[in-house]
Amino acid sequence: MAHRVDNEYDYLFKIVLIGDSGVGKSNILSRFTRNEFCLESKSTIGVEFATRTLQVEGKTIKAQIWDTAGQERYRAITSAYYRGAVGALLVYDITKKLSFENINRWLSELRNHADSNIVIMMVGNKSDLNHLRSVQEEEGQALAEKEGLSFLETSALEALNVEKAFQTILSDIHQIISKKALAAQEAAGSGPPTQGTTINVADSSGNMKKGCCST
Amino acid sequence: MAQLVHAGGEVLRRRRQATEESSERRGLSRASEQRSGRSFWGSYSLNSSEAEREAIKAHNRKGYMLLRKHCLRKNNEESVDDHITSEEENPCVISEQEMQDKTGKAIPENQADESLCSSSSRDEDESQKSDVTHVEASRDDVASVDQSSVEDEEESMPLPKYSNAGGNIEAETKLSKDARPVKSARTVEDFETWQRIIRLDAVRANNEWVSYSPLQAAVTREKAIDSASAVCLKDYDHLEAHRIHHASRLVAILEAYATYDPEIGYCQGMSDLLAPLIAVLEEDDEAFWCFAGFMRKARHNFRLDEVGIRRQLNMVSKIIKTKDFHLYRHLEMLEAADCFFVYRMVVVMFRRELTFEQTLSLWEVMWADQAARRAGIARSSWGKLRLGAPPTDDLLLYAIAASVLEKRKLIIESYSSMDEIIRDCNSMAGQLDIWKLLDDAHDLVVTVQDRIE
Repeated sequence: MAHRVDNEYDYLFKIVLIGDSGVGKSNILSRFTRNEFCLESKSTIGVEFATRTLQVEGKTIKAQIWDTAGQERYRAITSAYYRGAVGALLVYDITKKLSFENINRWLSELRNHADSNIVIMMVGNKSDLNHLRSVQEEEGQALAEKEGLSFLETSALEALNVEKAFQTILSDIHQIISKKALAAQEAAGSGPPTQGTTINVADSSGNMKKGCCST
Repeated sequence: MAQLVHAGGEVLRRRRQATEESSERRGLSRASEQRSGRSFWGSYSLNSSEAEREAIKAHNRKGYMLLRKHCLRKNNEESVDDHITSEEENPCVISEQEMQDKTGKAIPENQADESLCSSSSRDEDESQKSDVTHVEASRDDVASVDQSSVEDEEESMPLPKYSNAGGNIEAETKLSKDARPVKSARTVEDFETWQRIIRLDAVRANNEWVSYSPLQAAVTREKAIDSASAVCLKDYDHLEAHRIHHASRLVAILEAYATYDPEIGYCQGMSDLLAPLIAVLEEDDEAFWCFAGFMRKARHNFRLDEVGIRRQLNMVSKIIKTKDFHLYRHLEMLEAADCFFVYRMVVVMFRRELTFEQTLSLWEVMWADQAARRAGIARSSWGKLRLGAPPTDDLLLYAIAASVLEKRKLIIESYSSMDEIIRDCNSMAGQLDIWKLLDDAHDLVVTVQDRIE
């Protein structure tokens, strides 16, 4: 079953979803991969994952999203799954100041355990609960800029910006990989490719096709 | 705990007869407990007199109340320490002041009593039609009487603590040979963090239990809100009454446990383990002590140093290796021989994969095995009884291994990465036949136990 449709993609990108307990990571995942939302979704124990294949900048990308437990106690097991991730969605809850204040802890968690080139996007979830907001959108924006991260506010409940968040991070990753491939090709002495030249990204990115970044 | 055994047994009998062997096993474990004079969780032995049981029950209830009182006090201390930022996190800041103005009494006792009263099912029925003021008036009466008794008790009774050798019934159980807490494993999380996560998990607990607990399912909204305010639970507006009540009980007991066993505190997954117990036990204090007994073994899975969980995963790996070397080699190839893909099954003991009823069945058989072991039924004597699989402390792990072995063909032939196994293991919900699983687990015990334990 894993070999039929699964192989029909240009890239496989592994993305991790991280952030405090209860910020809505699992619902962001289910909204993105199954278009579902469940108010009573149980806490994630360890890690879970789901995939979705979509078009980004004309390429077929298989996004493998790893949802992780938010509680500090599970950090040891969840951080083991950062390996091979090319992107991270760092989620906080706009109604819970503490989850925003903990962003820095999550960033250092990523610095310690993930690939140094990992693309990080900060996501303020639960924007539907505007009346309970305790983190202003500008605050989120400011922190993201300071840390050099992209940023969006989402609502998994209202299906607002979830798609956009993943599209953004996936195309960011895609661009970086294309540039790297380009640079590698230049370094190899072939000069800048003219339009229409095939770029072999598999060698330089290590993300081509299945299996490369999935363990 | 005998109550829980009974309640769980009721469910089993009502819905589906246990396999013959499981029934025999349960009967045998009860008999053996009687012989050994020690009960299932160590609450009271089955041949004790009613008076003895009442005395122990009263003692345990007081211990639980002390823990609750301690929780509320901590809650209030935190509120004072960090007034501005904690206002949102600690609703008790406000409610305490309000309540004190109103009653002129210190709040912890009042609330501790309230939470205790809230689980009294007999009162519940009668008070369903009574108005809120009546409930509050009677609560005040109870509070004023019990306040002094709690204070008296406080002088004579220390706060119950896990692995504390003196003063409470827990010390009598000798289960904890390998249960010594490791100092270095001290968690960085504090009580306030636990409280926050406990509430988060409590309000999202589902209502699978409803048909097994009609009394609790029929709780009035007033009553439910009462029990919520007793534990300072907020954010429940979207819930029905019975779920508010259920969530409040989860909070009360899990907070008490975090106080009782601060080494472990609260870890997500523990609410999964507690929910079935409070569904079959109407009294918070009884549910608490059963949970504490349950956690004596389960707590190791939640340790920060991961020693417990790694030992268990290692054992699953060993069972698979011993039973099916070919599959094991394939797992090795996929870098999955450490069996981390069954992590969740171990931590919440199949709770996420099985229905409520299946869970009770599995756990009950598992507990019966452990009880039989505790009562000292050795493999040799079991053999003489010709009862199939001997009891094991790790039936759960055999069941988990069995669920993996069942997928051997798929894993060997189709899976080319660990991810696929993880995905498979995380989506077993609704696919398991608990009785087949138990049969397979018992077969595994018979064939590989000798080479593993």
